[in-house]
Amino acid sequence: MGRPSEAAGMEALHQLKSTEPPQWLAPSASLSESARAASQHLFASLRPHVRKSPFDELLVDNFDAEQIWQQIDLLTQPLVRSIRRRVKHWEKNPAEIENLLPEVADGGKKVAQGKKMEEIDDDDDDDGGDMDMDDDDDDDDEEMDVDNDGEQDGGKDEGDESEEEEEEKSGGIEDKFLKIKELQEHLEDEEARHYGLDAKNKKSKKKSGSKKLEDEDDDSEEGEEDKEEDDDEDEEVDLFAGGDDEDEEDEMGNARYEDFFGKKKGGSEPKPRFKDELGEDSSSGEEEKEEELSSDDDDDEEEDDDENVNKKPKVLSTHEKEVQKIKSEIEKMEKANLDPKTWTMQGEVTAANRPKNSALEVDLDFEHNVRPVPVITEEVTQSLEEIIKKRIIEGQFDDIKRAPGLPSKAPRELKPVDENKSNKGLAEVYEEEFVQQTDPAAAPLSFSDEQKKEASTLFKKLCLKLDALSHFHFAPKPIIEDMSIQSNVPALAMEEIAPVAVSDAAMLAPEEVFSGKGNVKAEVELTQTERKRRRAKKKRKFKAVETKKMASKKAREDELRKQKEAAGNGEEQ
Amino acid sequence: MEIDGVAPPVAEKPLFEPLKAHEMSDGKVQFRKVSVPPHRYTPLKKAWMEIYTPVYEQMKIDIRMNLKARKVELKTRVDTPDISNLQKCADFVHAFMMGFDVIDAVALLRMDELYVDSFEIKDVKTLKGEHKSRAIGRLSGKGGKTKFSIENATKTRIVLADEKIHILGSFRNIKIARDALCSLILGAPPGKVNSKLRQVTARSAELF
Repeated sequence: MGRPSEAAGMEALHQLKSTEPPQWLAPSASLSESARAASQHLFASLRPHVRKSPFDELLVDNFDAEQIWQQIDLLTQPLVRSIRRRVKHWEKNPAEIENLLPEVADGGKKVAQGKKMEEIDDDDDDDGGDMDMDDDDDDDDEEMDVDNDGEQDGGKDEGDESEEEEEEKSGGIEDKFLKIKELQEHLEDEEARHYGLDAKNKKSKKKSGSKKLEDEDDDSEEGEEDKEEDDDEDEEVDLFAGGDDEDEEDEMGNARYEDFFGKKKGGSEPKPRFKDELGEDSSSGEEEKEEELSSDDDDDEEEDDDENVNKKPKVLSTHEKEVQKIKSEIEKMEKANLDPKTWTMQGEVTAANRPKNSALEVDLDFEHNVRPVPVITEEVTQSLEEIIKKRIIEGQFDDIKRAPGLPSKAPRELKPVDENKSNKGLAEVYEEEFVQQTDPAAAPLSFSDEQKKEASTLFKKLCLKLDALSHFHFAPKPIIEDMSIQSNVPALAMEEIAPVAVSDAAMLAPEEVFSGKGNVKAEVELTQTERKRRRAKKKRKFKAVETKKMASKKAREDELRKQKEAAGNGEEQ
Repeated sequence: MEIDGVAPPVAEKPLFEPLKAHEMSDGKVQFRKVSVPPHRYTPLKKAWMEIYTPVYEQMKIDIRMNLKARKVELKTRVDTPDISNLQKCADFVHAFMMGFDVIDAVALLRMDELYVDSFEIKDVKTLKGEHKSRAIGRLSGKGGKTKFSIENATKTRIVLADEKIHILGSFRNIKIARDALCSLILGAPPGKVNSKLRQVTARSAELF
């Protein structure tokens, strides 16, 4: 850019600076013009530092705030990166800083100024637009920076800016008694005390850091998200500034969290990018050993360290490392406690309260009331078949056996019903029954008794045989002659089952049949005299029988006659 | 005054001997006549002495066979001890005519509580033709074994005469036998009847 434009740019910047804050509230054309001019000037001043950029100059004519901002953004992004790299480099080699310091200081300052102005311009443009209060913040911060020479680098500008802003905005609330700023400071001191060293350290770090951050203007400018800036804002602007700035709130919210729970690296999207860069540069040494948060802390610490050399040693002691470890764990746990629980840890969870198909991924443990279906494999069937075969061979079938009932009464003897015609007449049957009732002893043997008798005789026979076999001096029992009538009937008739061989043999032996005595002669052999003798004998026998008969008959008739007479007599009487 | 302490002589209470059957009916003789069906004619001839002896000797009832009228006639005698003897003898003869054996019928003479119950198959169930024949066959069983089993189990005597069934025995036993026979007529298998009979007899045996 040419000189006149430079001058014009500077002129515009001055003009902007000199305007009263309330004037910014209402859009005015002159302010807009001057803002654009200032932006252009700043852009031009920065342009040489950037190697490649699509724009050589800032195009402001008839451009929207958003568009202008985009252009600036395009320019500044690589610039910031490069500056960060340089800072990292200087971290490692602090000696070089000394060499560069005087040069850089001048250039940095200029750059800072330019940047500030840019931002101011942007803010101006975006007054009515969707641009955040962020820019307002920045503006204010930059103005603050301008005011405070020594300390105001880009990063710290914001902290101061916020202060300024606060002062501006809370104009209505504050009076001589109630100083919001003082109140906030007090509160922050309290919090720092309450939550330990961290916040304080950070605060101090930042404060000191801000002094040294000449080279990191862009960093800090970009770093609305930057922790340091956030912390700064946190220090100076607190809860009271709540409604003013979204960004402020975010930063403050972040800061609050950071104060309590440690620095949060990469609060919003750009954060990871920065972290990566930071990670690259400071990946060596300490950060590898520590966790993210602590590494973030370290990063910040390191960055701070770059600026404030004395604050923390680069290498932490073992104890400190452990302490940091524990702290980070504690932070993690506390964070976990604050968050709403996962659905698995909540009590009763219906399908609506948990994500889709989440129950499938979790290992659920519940009581199964159903036995699991047996998986039928070859081995199972084999084993079953073996069991079956064995059982069949043994004959053990697990049949249900009737449970024996309690024997309450003596089992009544079951007389099998005789299917044959009974031999006894009905009268005899009743007679037997009667006799049994009246005189049990005299009763004829019942069926069971007969069976018992039979059984006892069989057993006696058996015992006799066994005794004969077992005794050396066996004396056989005396034979009791049992009388039984044997009739001279052919043997065939006595047998019930048809015999295979039919026999005519009579049951009785001939000597048993024979009922004579002495010398027996057949009729053929008899002599005459003997025949006569036989005949005479026969006649004598017959006669004797006849006389007997006659005598008995006579006796009977006599009796009858007597009876009749008696009856007749009785009738007569 | 003198009290007449001596009562006038009271007549002796007369002692009467129990009336004989003969006197009870005022000296008149009582008769019973039992007709003889043709199929019992020959068995009567064979078993006449067995019938005659207990009636005449023990019951003291006169008995004779009227060949022309084909009836058995019974008459009380002078020395008949009890008027019921005549009726018993009449029942005895009647039982024989129905078909019972003499030895079974004699029980009527010896015991008071025996009765004869008769009924027909058609009283139980109307059966015609082959069904009736089969029912009769069921009643008697193979070789008469069902009938005998009922007889032995219930201490009764049964006569199956085509359509008519006569049962001789005590009242309770008649009932059991009748139930068994009726179930057979209605179609129960003999095995079932047998098992029921067994239960019944066992129960009745326990009672005494």
